[in-house]
Amino acid sequence: MVKKVLALIFALVIITTMLVLPACSPSASTKEQILRTNIAGEPSQIDPNRASWSTERTVIMQVFEGLLGFNQDLSLRAIGAEEIPTVDNDGISADGKTYTFELNTKVEWSDGEKVTAQDYEYSIKRLFSPDLAAEYTSFYFDIVGGEAYYSAIDADVATKAALKDAIGVRAIDDDTLEIKLNAPRPTFLQLMALWPVYPVREDIITQFGEQWTEPPNYIGNGPFIMTEWVHSDHITLIKNEDYWGTKAKLDTVVLYMKTDINAEYAAYQNNELDISQVAAGTEASTLADPVLGPQVLRYAELVTFGFQFNLEVAPFDNKNLRKAINAAIDRDSFINNVRGGVGKAAYSWIPPGMPGYDPNLGADYHFNVTKAKEFLVAAGYASNGSDVPELRLQYADTGTNPTIAQFIQNQLKINLGIDVALEPMERAAFSEMVNAEQHTWAWFGWGADYPDPDNWLPELFGTGAGNNHTNYSSAAFDALCTEAAAELDNTQRLALWADAQAMVVDDAPVLFMQYRERFRLVKPYVKGLKYTGMDGDSPGDMFFAEVYID
Amino acid sequence: MTKYIIQRIFWLFVVLFVVSFITFSLMHLVPGGPWDREKALDERVVAALNAKYGLDKPFIVQFGNYIAGIFRGDLGVSYSRQDRDVTAILLEGLPKTATLGITAFILAILIGVPLGMAAALKQNSIIDYISVLFATVFASIPGFVLGILLMIIFSVTLHWLPTGGWGSVRQVIMPAFALATLPAAFIARITRASTLEVMRQDYVRTARAMGIKHRVILIRHILRNALIPVITVAGPELAFLVSGSFIIENLFSIPGIGRLFVNGVFARDYGLIMGTILFYAFAVAFINLVVDIMYGVIDPRIRYD
Repeated sequence: MVKKVLALIFALVIITTMLVLPACSPSASTKEQILRTNIAGEPSQIDPNRASWSTERTVIMQVFEGLLGFNQDLSLRAIGAEEIPTVDNDGISADGKTYTFELNTKVEWSDGEKVTAQDYEYSIKRLFSPDLAAEYTSFYFDIVGGEAYYSAIDADVATKAALKDAIGVRAIDDDTLEIKLNAPRPTFLQLMALWPVYPVREDIITQFGEQWTEPPNYIGNGPFIMTEWVHSDHITLIKNEDYWGTKAKLDTVVLYMKTDINAEYAAYQNNELDISQVAAGTEASTLADPVLGPQVLRYAELVTFGFQFNLEVAPFDNKNLRKAINAAIDRDSFINNVRGGVGKAAYSWIPPGMPGYDPNLGADYHFNVTKAKEFLVAAGYASNGSDVPELRLQYADTGTNPTIAQFIQNQLKINLGIDVALEPMERAAFSEMVNAEQHTWAWFGWGADYPDPDNWLPELFGTGAGNNHTNYSSAAFDALCTEAAAELDNTQRLALWADAQAMVVDDAPVLFMQYRERFRLVKPYVKGLKYTGMDGDSPGDMFFAEVYID
Repeated sequence: MTKYIIQRIFWLFVVLFVVSFITFSLMHLVPGGPWDREKALDERVVAALNAKYGLDKPFIVQFGNYIAGIFRGDLGVSYSRQDRDVTAILLEGLPKTATLGITAFILAILIGVPLGMAAALKQNSIIDYISVLFATVFASIPGFVLGILLMIIFSVTLHWLPTGGWGSVRQVIMPAFALATLPAAFIARITRASTLEVMRQDYVRTARAMGIKHRVILIRHILRNALIPVITVAGPELAFLVSGSFIIENLFSIPGIGRLFVNGVFARDYGLIMGTILFYAFAVAFINLVVDIMYGVIDPRIRYD
């Protein structure tokens, strides 16, 4: 009996092995021009006008291109436009309020139609449609009539149509687009390089409605064409053979939507993915691994992390206490012990890789317990922190946030004798609380929408600004922002922003912690990856057309 | 019987209505809405979004509209998925989740029932101990641990199976097994206990005394009766498996409906939350109904008239 059973088990094992094995011998790296990478999940929205998340940008950037785009160093380049408008080439009017784009006449849609100025006009006017309710529209409210149309939520059809017609965007002819602004906006060209103003096709959208973002309706003008979207599973892009410029070297890009980081990593090790993240906390061991170590790709991102104080809540209304906290945190230990050695200690706000970054700022905040105690005494407390009330720290209870919070709790206890109470919260509940400024002190990050201080200072520290959750308010700072936002001389403008940042850093409404660094594994046969500080979900996704497999 | 079924179906709808009201209220009561992001949206954008999705209307109007939509077969749209119809999203994921769930269910029965029977028939033997050990071990290993373990062995080390995705039989093996172990262990324990109990029943002794063949007693008298409690637990297990598991679907990147609910909650995607909850409630209520009818088929003593 036992023999029989054993024989049966043995037979089963053999059969299973035979069934399983032939189909899956480990795939050797071939020269097939296919890149398999992962995005954070099913994109919410790949309609360029409506998109806002990096997952969505990764898809959109392959299939669409705008009038302008970015180079690897994040300077601007002309793509759909013949050249970047300037005052000298008559692209920008002397008062800085009218922009004229001459279109690159070679650019075509993937179905062979020419991309016209009317396509851009349609797209930008659609961006302001209150019925579309696109999320990035507020960035473009400087365009004449945009805000009025967008805010006319309850207006009747005729009023909406009139408001839409009044928007200051006009196709003068097939190849010339004119945009009028309410006021000069020195960073307007950067906004014109972002996805919400990429051209979209009126005929396609009218014909297919919500279905227009499904292949084969998803007609773009970029180097790739979307041929397949298996929802929540993967998107397949193939090379656009009729692309007007240098054609993509890759034949196929597959964007998988694995949402578990361990599964993504396992898929990389099983040669199903060419690019992968590693689980938080395993960075150091990955670097030390003889095989994986050389496959690590790390580079700075335009993202700063910190803890924002609520300046209207005692004791955080005390500037010297905020400075004391800033000086009492050992950020190098934070990077090495909490962040697995990934990232760069931050002592100021604007990250490296962007105009406005100043490595000399925040010198007072380099870890120095003596200095921290001096600030504490200046704040009116005992140097051993015994009379500082318990501080309350809120954070979204996800990922490594609890460890980060515990680190701060521990540092303040050891270095200043201050007690910190940790208050973890569910993610959306946390965001709601911070957005309503109900927090006392909260973990947060800010990533660049476009690489300019304009996107980093007034929106966060301007009095009453939408993302000002520190309740920071300074008349001098606001005045600098107003001046800088309208200054057309770039050198002068950046100098004004530098002054504004110095003011914020000195007032310390934030405990500046870290500039983020991206950490990925890339198979050695993936060549030509050009990464930037503003990539979407996958490194180098702004320039996938230049990637090849060797 | 027919009257009983009609009554039950009526109550099923009452249950679904109550479930929708509770879910809808809880969804709107919890802090954080669909537009609460770390990077706050402009207030004008939030106003436009609320107007677009009708979230600017009073709660009771929103609920009324939702219920009215259901009667038109419209479960609303998912804000976090390109405004696609929730019905379409559920229908797209359901076959995948159901295939996985039914495979896991069959696996669980195929492993659990024989294991439990064998353990009971050879009580206190080595087979019994192995069976109990199996049941204990697999009942205590969480699905994601087992899933990662399987992945490390069969994908990363041996390169035999893909780590996830959907479309081929090979992609079903690991998730189905990871999903099946817990119910298999549970079913084995229940089968063992119930078989032991049935074996000591008078009618089994009578059958023996009548000289009926052992095998016939085993199948006709013991197995059939021992399965009643198994069916009781198997029903909800099936409902659970078919509605999908967030953990397993997330780990193995399966585009099923198990992930939808949790992702919906994180994104405060009201349409998705309501759709998945209603589906889950329906699945549980419906399968319980089927189980109750099954009792009558298996055990002639149970009648509903």
